[in-house]
Amino acid sequence: MGNNKIDQLKKKYKEIPIPSELDSIVESALQKRSPKKHGIRWVAGIVAAGIIFTTSLNVSPTLAKSLEDIPVVGSIVNVLVFKEYRVEEGNYQADIKVPAIDKLENKALEESLNEKYLAESQELYDKFMSEMESQQAFGQDGHLQVDSGFLIKTETDQLLSIGRYVEEIVASSAVTIQYDTIDKENQLLVTLPSLFKDDSYVEVISNNILSQMKEQMKEDPNKMYFIESPDVLDTDVFTTIKRDQNFYINPNNQLVISFDEYEVAPGYMGVTEFVIPTKELEDILVSNQYLK
Amino acid sequence: MLKRKPRRDKMIADYVMQNKENFYRLAYSYVQNREDALDIVQDSIQKAITSDTLKDSNALKSWFYKIVVHTSLDFLRRRKKVTVLDDTTIQLHFPSHKDHYRDIDLEQALNQLPFQYRSVIVLRYFEDLKIEEVAEVLDLNINTVKTRIYKALKILREHIEDIDFEEVSHNG
Repeated sequence: MGNNKIDQLKKKYKEIPIPSELDSIVESALQKRSPKKHGIRWVAGIVAAGIIFTTSLNVSPTLAKSLEDIPVVGSIVNVLVFKEYRVEEGNYQADIKVPAIDKLENKALEESLNEKYLAESQELYDKFMSEMESQQAFGQDGHLQVDSGFLIKTETDQLLSIGRYVEEIVASSAVTIQYDTIDKENQLLVTLPSLFKDDSYVEVISNNILSQMKEQMKEDPNKMYFIESPDVLDTDVFTTIKRDQNFYINPNNQLVISFDEYEVAPGYMGVTEFVIPTKELEDILVSNQYLK
Repeated sequence: MLKRKPRRDKMIADYVMQNKENFYRLAYSYVQNREDALDIVQDSIQKAITSDTLKDSNALKSWFYKIVVHTSLDFLRRRKKVTVLDDTTIQLHFPSHKDHYRDIDLEQALNQLPFQYRSVIVLRYFEDLKIEEVAEVLDLNINTVKTRIYKALKILREHIEDIDFEEVSHNG
């Protein structure tokens, strides 16, 4: 800013003496990291009864192949790692696991979900590779990281909720998670509108989320959602969920509404979720088949 | 919810090692003493490596600064040394904080600024954050940051006659 007085102040600020212990304090703080878990094993830990993981085939010579086999544990409906894309080239790293659903009797549903999963992963991989190649072609010292996989949110005799997440670290980036919930008994994909008698759920759920947001912000000043306030631009304010808002059903048979990073809160809040108490929805539910 | 990754931790560790002195000074600017500032740096690092809130490596800087600022403010709150005032009730007459600085009008003026205003000056001009980054660190929108910088400079103006006000609005 070329302002002498401000520069003077800055100079004084930079002269704040650094204590000699700083180094050792920083180093010991950094070493207190907790040990890392391995992703696949972590997913397997959640599995109750019927999920197999296999990994298969890989594509180009730049890909480091990774094979992981986890034994079969009985089966009704399975979720497998159908394919895994891995790239490790310095600052360019991708790990994209493609899930596939298996042994669903409704084959049309199974195929349409699997096709969707594969197409999305392929697109993600292609995007990554072309971005990487273009950066390398221009000799830029880029940094690109994509991590994608899935997690089983709920696995009961009746329901299976699968979440697919994408974590992209590029020029502008975000985490997104998309869920699919399958009724295993009736072999159906459960959609949000299908749970309710009419569209009034949009408003009921939105209002409940708004009050949860306010409550959380009141309790914890570090939390922040984009709701009406002098510090949030009107255009960013959360007012209502989408008709087909991302959701899953948790093992307690409660509806959980999920928002991607930045969707309703600043980036540091990450992906946010709201459990909607079933009693709030009682009047508008088609039945208590899924939500209790 | 997402698994943590070794490379993420490494990225954080590298960043912390490179910038530890900046974090220390920032913490010091809040608490004005050495032991507390060291504690805050330590706490901030631990929060950073156990937290899952970083999703974007490009936001690493503002994310970490945010943790340091929050940790410092929490510390001061516990100490009850600070009351957070809203913009409208801020008066220009503030009692001196414990004054470790040399007795220079300008520095005193800066130290006597309410935290909301001091933070924006420290982050914007001393730590060289962009307006957008300051906004991210302090959870404010960009216009609020600009307003606060403007007001802060106005308060300091009594001591800094030659501040050029026009520059604020072009610095975003």
